[in-house]
Amino acid sequence: MDSSDIEKIVVNALQLTNQSRSDNTQIPISESTVLFGKDGHLDSMALVALLMDIEDALAEESIDVSLSDEKAMSSSRSPFKNLTSMTQYISDVIAEQS
Amino acid sequence: MGSRTVLITGASRGIGKTLAEHFLAKGDIVIGVSRTETSLADENYHHFLADVASEADAKRIFTAIKKQFTSLDILINNAGIARMNAFALTPIQNAQDIMATNFMGTFIFCQKALNLLRKSPCARIINLSTVAVPLNLAGEAAYAASKSAVETLTRIVAKEMGGFGITCNAIGPSPIHTQLISGVGDDKIDKLLQQQAIKKMAVVEDVINIVDFYVQPQSSMVTGQILYLGGIS
Repeated sequence: MDSSDIEKIVVNALQLTNQSRSDNTQIPISESTVLFGKDGHLDSMALVALLMDIEDALAEESIDVSLSDEKAMSSSRSPFKNLTSMTQYISDVIAEQS
Repeated sequence: MGSRTVLITGASRGIGKTLAEHFLAKGDIVIGVSRTETSLADENYHHFLADVASEADAKRIFTAIKKQFTSLDILINNAGIARMNAFALTPIQNAQDIMATNFMGTFIFCQKALNLLRKSPCARIINLSTVAVPLNLAGEAAYAASKSAVETLTRIVAKEMGGFGITCNAIGPSPIHTQLISGVGDDKIDKLLQQQAIKKMAVVEDVINIVDFYVQPQSSMVTGQILYLGGIS
């Protein structure tokens, strides 16, 4: 699975998140959107939900990984800051855990 | 009420088996998990052989469930083991086995079930504890400690999952005639019963009564609670 496949999974998960949000809290899906952290669109619970959806989608591709370790969730420079950093983090985790 | 999907661990005997029969009688779909084969035969019953303390087993089960079901409505973490022993004489391996099955089994199944539970409009987690926790029963150090951990887990899962509409509660049965306490002497059971407000053995139906309360849609505001039988608090 390459970076573009992973990015597609993240985008699909964000679209799923948007389905359960009101019109005025929709997350703009672009590389510059701040997802998590200062001025991010996701609070910690929404991030957990997003990561669970991504793990589920990866599991459907027979990739069994755990995305939310303590370091990643508490890091001041969170890997979940935006679409690009999240995609890179997931690629790294897959490489490490597989 | 019917057509809910219910997962019960430790479903091959005792309380777990009776709960499985209870939900099947209501027309629900029951997924049973245990280390041994089941005698339950029902078109709505699906059985998985597994060790609840094994993350690999849990992953295998939930992968199979996700292929067949779109959501999970009720998870009952009933699987448990108990070995009475004086603290000073408890083999370390026994304590580790008890923690693995009772606490880690509950932890793993709660976590792996979350994504399916989130898709239910009325998601419930029910964990099994014991009156041995509030009574601090001598001879039950490892067992009571494992269930104490289950109670804390229950409260924290309730907090973290409340926003997803998932409630998480526990039941602490007083002694019931099941295999779990078959090795405990009558004198010990009598002593325990004397500490209860209602000094008699409970029956499985008392547990079912609380389960029915927790799972009913009207109980959506009830979470993080531990309900003991027999008047223990």
